[in-house]
Amino acid sequence: MKRVTVEAERCAGCRQCEMVCSFHHTKTFSPESSRVTVIKDDRLGLDYPLMCRQCSDCPPMDACPAQAITREEGIIMVDWQACIGCGVCVEECRYGAVKLHDDKALVCDLCGGEPQCVARCPTGALSYTESPEFTETPWEAFDRLKEEWGMHG
Amino acid sequence: MARIYGYAGSLLRIDLTNQAYETERITEAEMRGYLGGRGFNAKRLYDEVDAGVDPLSPGNKLIFGTGPLVGTMFPTASRFNVSAKSPHTGILGDSNAGGHFAPEMKFAGYDQIILEGLSASPIYVYVEDNHVDFRDASSIKGSTVFEADGFIKGELGDRRVQTVICGPAAEKGVKYGGLFANQVRVASRTGMGTVMASKNVKALALRGTGLVEVAEPDGFERMTLKLEKEIRAHEQYPGRMRMGTTRILMMANEAGFLPTRNYTSGVYEDAHMVSGERLAEEYNVKNRGCFACTIPCSRVYSIKEGPNKGLHGEGPEYEALGSFTSRIGNNDLELALKAIDLCNQLGLDVLTVAGCVGWAMELYEAGELTAEETGGLELTWGNMEALQELIRLIAEREGFGDVLADGSVEAAKRLGRGMDRTIQVKGMDLIMADPRGLKGFGLGYAVASRGGDHLRSEPFLELSDDPEIGERMFGVPESTLRLADRGKGRLVSYFEDWNAVIDSLEPCKNIMQNMMLLPFERAAEALELTTGLRVTPEEMREAGERIITLERMYGVREGVSRADDRLPSRFMESPLREGASSGTVVDMDLMLDEYYAERGWDPETGHPTPETLLRLGLGSAVKDLP
Repeated sequence: MKRVTVEAERCAGCRQCEMVCSFHHTKTFSPESSRVTVIKDDRLGLDYPLMCRQCSDCPPMDACPAQAITREEGIIMVDWQACIGCGVCVEECRYGAVKLHDDKALVCDLCGGEPQCVARCPTGALSYTESPEFTETPWEAFDRLKEEWGMHG
Repeated sequence: MARIYGYAGSLLRIDLTNQAYETERITEAEMRGYLGGRGFNAKRLYDEVDAGVDPLSPGNKLIFGTGPLVGTMFPTASRFNVSAKSPHTGILGDSNAGGHFAPEMKFAGYDQIILEGLSASPIYVYVEDNHVDFRDASSIKGSTVFEADGFIKGELGDRRVQTVICGPAAEKGVKYGGLFANQVRVASRTGMGTVMASKNVKALALRGTGLVEVAEPDGFERMTLKLEKEIRAHEQYPGRMRMGTTRILMMANEAGFLPTRNYTSGVYEDAHMVSGERLAEEYNVKNRGCFACTIPCSRVYSIKEGPNKGLHGEGPEYEALGSFTSRIGNNDLELALKAIDLCNQLGLDVLTVAGCVGWAMELYEAGELTAEETGGLELTWGNMEALQELIRLIAEREGFGDVLADGSVEAAKRLGRGMDRTIQVKGMDLIMADPRGLKGFGLGYAVASRGGDHLRSEPFLELSDDPEIGERMFGVPESTLRLADRGKGRLVSYFEDWNAVIDSLEPCKNIMQNMMLLPFERAAEALELTTGLRVTPEEMREAGERIITLERMYGVREGVSRADDRLPSRFMESPLREGASSGTVVDMDLMLDEYYAERGWDPETGHPTPETLLRLGLGSAVKDLP
């Protein structure tokens, strides 16, 4: 299926994705209301945007006590009416792609098929393409790049 | 009153002495008059830190300011200014940096944060939205910038906290300690880190969970999309993406104004060995950007083999790269990276270190400084082992390092010789462009409100060497010829006003000014779409002029006059002997006369006239004229 994929080696950590996501969904600017969150290691110069990968198995969906996480037309969605803000989904997602904001779970909704973060990413670190599931965690990506680029500590 | 968007509308005043804090509203008049960031800071500093205050006393204030565009998706709007009276120069201290600190100020709800007084014990200050925590920092006293950043984020348990940190050099009282955001985004000039350290504060940490709203979301979005498109289509885009500002090094060398061996030459024979091109080809592994950047021009490098294997870091930009290569006669790129990394860890301003060391090396080579006086260090051109050791000594204020720790002017005073070889204006060591090859830049250094520096004006259009541009924009064809002296008063005052606007709205000057993307007309449009405040392009420029003039008055109140607006004598007396900028010197008086006339300042004293102050709404400063 089509999903947003990340090339960590290209992410410049500018967080424009956060701003664009926040604006698209709320018309305001706040990292807190963005469904993508960039994690950064300033010592190593590594950056990674955390966001939903549309996994075929979705532990947050399975674990949600309110059944608020569903798949609609193949896309993982949160029903805010049902969401009780317990945060179990945040714990369960192995890619750190879910967060709570105003006691509701926030997950990428692919902007209805035209993800704005992808459109505005300045380095092409994000793509929205037909691709197989990728399972490298952000932390594994950092380790891989550290190794590849000879950076330690 | 209509609601004003974009701005947070508040400043946070933190009293370190009493561990208290309060917020104050920022008025619409201040927004219109001073725009934000640098302008807000200039106004606050002028009003609150009077003449005669010792920069390292509790009476000095450390002021952080950011602008209305920051904390949005406006391309490159990521910057803050930090201002105080400078311990390095004794006049206006002010420095600007990017990264992610400034937007966090906005998300926390502040356009400005002021640290005042003196903490009784070592602390760092943690601001979380509307709460301020004064936290014990005794365990990180004297630690490096990198260590302190790791400690603070670990202790607070939140990696999204943003910090500005001073290094151990500042804590030892070195007069040119910088303030470091995201570890390597440095507000490095004029000793702002030293001011923070003098208040017993190691760092200011921030976390904001609020939001920024703009006045016209749809129009604002259209404007940002248009700007992003223009940036990508710009002829400078590929070079900046590949090399950042290090692209300048080879250009400067070809044009013959690359400062070499403490400005004794404008051509470095080994420039190709230390170029941005070589850095990109052999060492860079990825790009990094400041917040909301469309053209992330910072680069991460890693040395994967050889004796320096394992060294990695971010940057450097041109000024630091040139500082530790051509300026001191060093052709070993890796050792330059190593020295820059050390300065970053210790919290030193690379330009000033290079200014002091370049000066000392020139004296040493001329036989005017002995190994006995340097504690055995052989300060020959390019001796990087000696440089590495000297950086440590400066940071510790030990031995010959102590002599250099107050800047080149104080060092010359202490030695009792070599003042004629210091390369500084008003005590601040110059940047990496020889003014004999860039006359307008030279004028800019001479009159800059924070001392010898290009970023107040940066009149890059003279690099075009196209007289038609000069004729069209300034009515003087020579104004845009880099080796000409005429017309530079008008060129420089235009660029100073423009940069004051950019530094106050707080996007990136490299992009919005150097790439000519945010002229006054568009700056006015951006302000209106963001905040709802309607100002004309003329009012926008006038705000820039007001900021420049108030900053000038800050200097005037401390005793600055025409006599201080001077370049080092070699630029006015000795032409360069080789390269594409050889054979000319700077006609300082001609340029100053033009500049003061343009500004409406007194040509004898260089002071703004009462009429000029009144015209700009600065009537209350008239009483401060000598």
